Amino acid sequence: MGALSTKHLLGIKQLNQADIELIFSTADNFKEVINRPIKKVPSLRDITIANLFFENSTRTKLSFELAEKRLSADVVNFSAAASSVSKGETLIDTVNNILAMKVDMVVMRHPNPGAPIFLSKHIKANIINAGDGAHEHPTQALLDAYSIREKLGDVKGKKVAIVGDILHSRVALSNIYCLQKLGAEVMVCGPPTLIPKHIQSLGVKVEFSLDKALEWSDICMMLRIQLERQGSDRSVKYFPSLREYHQLYGLTSERLKKVKRSPVIMHPGPINRGVEISSELADSENSIILNQVENGVAIRMAVLYLLASEHENEE
Amino acid sequence: MKLLIKKAKIIDSSSSLNEKIVDVLVENGKITAIDKNISDDQAKVVSFKNLHLSRGWVDLHTNLQDPGYEHKEDFESGRKAAAAGGFTRIGLSPLSLPVRDSKSQIEYVINQNKSTLVELLPYGTVSKNAEGKELAELYDMHQAGAKAFFDGKNSISNPNLLIRALDYCRSFDGLLMNFTYNKDISPEGVMNEGEVSTSLGLKGIPELAEEIMLNRDIYLSNYTKGRLHFTTISSAASVQLIADAKKKGLNISCDVSSAHLLINDLELESFDSRLKTLPPFRSKSTVKSLIQGIKKGIIDALCSDHWPQDIESKKKEFDHAEFGIINLQTAFAAANTALQSEVSINKIIDLFTEGPERILKIDKNEIKVGAKANFTLFNPDANFTFEKKNVLSKSLNSPFFGKQLKGVVYGVVNNGKSNLN
Repeated sequence: MGALSTKHLLGIKQLNQADIELIFSTADNFKEVINRPIKKVPSLRDITIANLFFENSTRTKLSFELAEKRLSADVVNFSAAASSVSKGETLIDTVNNILAMKVDMVVMRHPNPGAPIFLSKHIKANIINAGDGAHEHPTQALLDAYSIREKLGDVKGKKVAIVGDILHSRVALSNIYCLQKLGAEVMVCGPPTLIPKHIQSLGVKVEFSLDKALEWSDICMMLRIQLERQGSDRSVKYFPSLREYHQLYGLTSERLKKVKRSPVIMHPGPINRGVEISSELADSENSIILNQVENGVAIRMAVLYLLASEHENEE
Repeated sequence: MKLLIKKAKIIDSSSSLNEKIVDVLVENGKITAIDKNISDDQAKVVSFKNLHLSRGWVDLHTNLQDPGYEHKEDFESGRKAAAAGGFTRIGLSPLSLPVRDSKSQIEYVINQNKSTLVELLPYGTVSKNAEGKELAELYDMHQAGAKAFFDGKNSISNPNLLIRALDYCRSFDGLLMNFTYNKDISPEGVMNEGEVSTSLGLKGIPELAEEIMLNRDIYLSNYTKGRLHFTTISSAASVQLIADAKKKGLNISCDVSSAHLLINDLELESFDSRLKTLPPFRSKSTVKSLIQGIKKGIIDALCSDHWPQDIESKKKEFDHAEFGIINLQTAFAAANTALQSEVSINKIIDLFTEGPERILKIDKNEIKVGAKANFTLFNPDANFTFEKKNVLSKSLNSPFFGKQLKGVVYGVVNNGKSNLN
């Protein structure tokens, strides 16, 4: 088996196409493993992994933890809301304290863009970015592309519309990078207030009409409206109400009938049913939302396994 | 002290000696002879390769934050850095702690100026406590020696306050300075808004946030006829707005931070918080427009916008790191590196001498026999690499480490003192 070109998974930006293919083929093997009656393999025995979540997460954390345990790694968890960290200890100190207890790999979610990149310059362990602010969420993008590949055979040449809050979304940014590296076309769609002004410079199409985006796309990736990111006290909210958001950007079967399309429907979760997507569609045949979740474990196992092998090679 | 400076090429576009190579003799702080070949056994001889000599440079905008943040920089370390960077006079932003908003605070600075190599030019705040609400005692501070009124990086957002201040200062010809930045446009912005901020997921500060306040200020300057200086402009549209306003005869001027002529936002791709400053480093095309503004004579001066931050304030996540770069030691080299192929060395030196002197209405230290010896010695053609070990500031937040820059400063002479080895 080959090796990744990087010792950390900081973002999709730092991966090349061969890396992504390698992660996918490794995930194929692990997907087979997790569907066996005995789901555990000894690949990461003696490797200790710390899951550092400086921002709330349920499913990503669970998915990583399952992936780690199925690889037989030792796992420790650290959760801290950003506020308790701001009491004094710096990020480097927090992480070095944990590493002093002999941890080999760090999976980190952090509210600030670039935090894992910053950390990678100051600590020794391998780092996997589990989401940094509005920057990247590489394992999510990998599992999304993997799920498209599984459903449609290939990612190349496919048209993917990402719909919703693009401005605050690390999922959107990582998906743009990943899908483009694999040869897909990407469109972003949402209210103009939630589309970054310079997003076209990344080579994506921009569409404000959901109907038009649906007419164009093979795959429609709905993003969750992150109510907690809809503006601080200091700024004006990005849209007036969820009701109006649903009217403009809610994915419903009526809308699909109107445009006579039935794209593959994806969602990184958690879903706000009735806001960005109707229950009916979320549970429909074209929805691969739960496949995404299942593939998430396989992809994370692949990433952990590949980076840990790097780790062993170094020693 | 008796100094004999050998074979110096004079750079002073206002002097008949401009571009002539001469020897200069300095005794007791005064120039006593300028000639082709002077010899004096008692004088300490100063001789350097490709030596250029100009009037001492003036920095319009430094943030030393003494008192209050002496651990980041105090007057002593700031002066050393300034002298090494070729400056003999530096204008001080009033945002120390407490802020410089009264006569006694101005006097605190003036009292540090007893025949020092680098003179401090204190600015007072426009508003009490730099809060942007009520006028500080501007006349009192003016009398005490405040050279301008400035709320530092706290942009004057209330137009009513700026109108009052501009009007009020007319009675004693006081100078108002503003750093135009409408923070409401991007309350959480940490870098230039553009392609790079989009790809990094960082919150952007659009150039628009500078331009709309600058445009408003031009209106207010026209309305009041007051004297207004825009410091650290960083947008193509700002340059154009100022050019148009100057054509109409408005009493305005502007400067650019020299680092902003050399660094663009592509360098932030590594999330290096040393490059986080305000105004943020802009796009490549804006950098070009600023250089064009200099070529066309729209930009009056360059400044260092030296803004020291200790490592605890910088070595953290980009969002949490403080704004600011140190630039006193590299201000000239940054400008010279960016501009050398674009404008003459005379023009570059004017931006550090004639421009700031005219804006602040301070003495021009002419290079002539009998005049006060206040000058800078440098070599515009020598390359050097700026390293951590070269830093004389207490803080290390330089964006230039490891970069090759063109333009070496040998040292300065002022008030009978020098830092020449």
